[in-house]
Amino acid sequence: MSFHHLDQYATVASPVTRMPPTARLIAVLVLAVGAAALPLGAWRQLGVLFALVALLATVARLPAKLMLVRMTGPLGFVFLASVGLLVLVPGDPLVRVGFLQVSDAGLLRFGSVLGRAIVALGAAVVLVTTTSFPELLHALREIRLPKVVTTALGLAYRLLYILVDEVERLQRAARSRNAGAGSARRRRVLVGVAAAGLARTFARGERTHRAMLARGYRGDLPTLSEQRWDRRSVVALVTLVTLVGVTTVSAYVGR
Amino acid sequence: MVPLLEIVGLGYAYPDGTAALQDVSLAIASGDRVALLGPTGSGKSTLLQHANGLLQPADGTVVVDGIPIQDDTVRDVRRKVGLVFQDPNDQLFLPTLLEDVAFGPLNNGHSVVEAETLAVAMLSELGLAGARHRAAHHLSGGERRLAALATVLVSRPLLLALDEPTGDLDARSRRRLVHLLRQRPETLLVATHDLELARAVCGRGVVLHEGRVVTDAPLGDLLTDRDLLERYGLAADLSD
Amino acid sequence: MAHIPDGFLSAPVIIGTAVASAGTLALAAHRSRRRHEEREALVLGAATAFVFAAQMLNFPLGAGTSAHLLGGVLVGAVVGPWSGMLVMFAVLLVQALLFQDGGISALGANTLNVAVIGVGVGFCVYRWLLALWGDGVRRRVTAASVAAFVSTGLVGVAVAIELALSGTVPFTPAVVAVGGGHLVVGVAEAVLTGAILGMLMRSRPELVTAAAPSSGMRRWAVGTVVVSAALAVSAAYLASAKPDALEAAASYLGLGASGPVSRSAPFAEYTTPLGGPWFAALIGVVVVFAVIWIVVKLNRAGRRP
Repeated sequence: MSFHHLDQYATVASPVTRMPPTARLIAVLVLAVGAAALPLGAWRQLGVLFALVALLATVARLPAKLMLVRMTGPLGFVFLASVGLLVLVPGDPLVRVGFLQVSDAGLLRFGSVLGRAIVALGAAVVLVTTTSFPELLHALREIRLPKVVTTALGLAYRLLYILVDEVERLQRAARSRNAGAGSARRRRVLVGVAAAGLARTFARGERTHRAMLARGYRGDLPTLSEQRWDRRSVVALVTLVTLVGVTTVSAYVGR
Repeated sequence: MVPLLEIVGLGYAYPDGTAALQDVSLAIASGDRVALLGPTGSGKSTLLQHANGLLQPADGTVVVDGIPIQDDTVRDVRRKVGLVFQDPNDQLFLPTLLEDVAFGPLNNGHSVVEAETLAVAMLSELGLAGARHRAAHHLSGGERRLAALATVLVSRPLLLALDEPTGDLDARSRRRLVHLLRQRPETLLVATHDLELARAVCGRGVVLHEGRVVTDAPLGDLLTDRDLLERYGLAADLSD
Repeated sequence: MAHIPDGFLSAPVIIGTAVASAGTLALAAHRSRRRHEEREALVLGAATAFVFAAQMLNFPLGAGTSAHLLGGVLVGAVVGPWSGMLVMFAVLLVQALLFQDGGISALGANTLNVAVIGVGVGFCVYRWLLALWGDGVRRRVTAASVAAFVSTGLVGVAVAIELALSGTVPFTPAVVAVGGGHLVVGVAEAVLTGAILGMLMRSRPELVTAAAPSSGMRRWAVGTVVVSAALAVSAAYLASAKPDALEAAASYLGLGASGPVSRSAPFAEYTTPLGGPWFAALIGVVVVFAVIWIVVKLNRAGRRP
């Protein structure tokens, strides 16, 4: 179960980590959406946005190797999903491989998808590696996500760790009783584990609810604020958002 | 003098109809340190939840610091009685320790700044200041237990009600907890089957058996009464 | 590919799906609060943690393959459709931001597919089948299985439509590749949803609390069957009698136009300027709100004594 990198954020202090988490989140959202919204074949604009992400990663003191490692998995998935575009999209044939032909329109889409994905993924990796889960939650609250969603996420964070512990215990117990059983049997056991896990999580939620009531809970989760907006962060964020906005819009206007 | 906690003729049945508590009466004066003894299922946890108003009495009354527990007083009572649950994981539900400890003060109307100051002070008092931005799953079992205690102590309750506080602790953490509890000024009500803990921390023992109070005596007398310990399944001796 | 990554969608689709999802979630937040009241935070937190954990469990399917649960219909059956949508959104949000599973820019589309359509339509199918069949453990398990299959298939179709609208892939290959893949995933989802729900109803029946369908709801469900059968028959008759009628209607609406390419890809108008895809995005939004309307109806019908 690989969710432990939820907590492996870089503890390296940098100008990026000195910005409030909300500013980081907005910057990354704008970069990702700005890149993804580029029309097909906007190579120059993709280049500009890529440079901005690279700049952000440099300022955040993220080693290139870490960025690459983090991006490889998702990028591999994007590559597999987009390689079909080469042959699926009708257009003027460029290359013929057996009975498949790569069209110019296909190549255009393949390249554009990959380019947009690289920029957006790069931005996302900068966010994950500089921001802890509690900070992210705080940022999501500040950008006015429905309160119920941020509250549920905040509680789910602890519940998930407890649940995974319990599921692993259940699984170990089940495995010691069913060593080497066939896949149908193993599936039945896992279904049992999942159902028990669900029941236990809700029971845990019920007990937690009582613990909250015991400490004066009124139905709204109060939160500590970690407001650290300073003039420099605001200026940096506004500059970045403007740059991305101008770049993306220019791709539509310039045609 | 009015007792801090006064329970008279308390009865309670689980939703399925099983009687959990029957005609329980108990008075605890300010400064008392009471061990609530009894085997699993004897009603200890249910009794603690009544003291804090989480459960409201079906029969009888529960009065805390002169205030009878009712729908309109239950919030006041919860500020006076701090309840520490058996499993610290139930009590540490927020992403960081600081948020968990500040939760009570924020609910009780403290401003964000005050709540944070109180929480930091409380964590320092228990030696957990360094862990305040960490999540509970990154703490050791002993630290987690202390953290759960901090979430309750920060609201300065008059009565501290603990449910099996040494449940899953190793020897060293247990010693640390005992040491801490001996120093606390709060009135204590400790539900446990850890007789050593009871001996170290409490002066008075109440034995609960099948939902009834069967003995209420100074702890020294109680712990030397082998007959009584055997009869109610409290003896820790495994040699015979 | 239940989760569309960054880069595959065009600006109009990104914006259109985001608007549709945001609108639905706002309504869902309101409805969810009404259902769970002060317990809401914990019910949703627990459900979110469960979906997260369940998506990490790999269930062996035999022949060396395995699949994980998506959980939309299961969660809808346990906490209700509106809360289910919020839960799936919370999961998608964290997956996009912290796990790079699904694109940040595609969050609106993924929410529309997995949370709104996956949970909303899945739940409609579930309640609708229960209304037709009546209540009971076996019937609920079967209804949930069917709903899980249909909902997963529809998620695949929605993904294909969004890709086609974006001009990334023509509609036909998209629906064959993505929809086909989802049908396979749907079988696993159906098996797992039914099995887990069945076990849950035996061990903790109080967790699966959706009210038994009323007689009014039953009439409603039978009515929809009759109406849709009538529609299907007349559509088939129209199509066979006048092969061009549907196409003419489509081109009149500005969807189809002419030419051999567009017949196979009615939505894939990537050569037209902004008007085409924007119009299609608008239709998408309308469809979503129609779905919501039906969910509201079903929910209300279910609550009537």
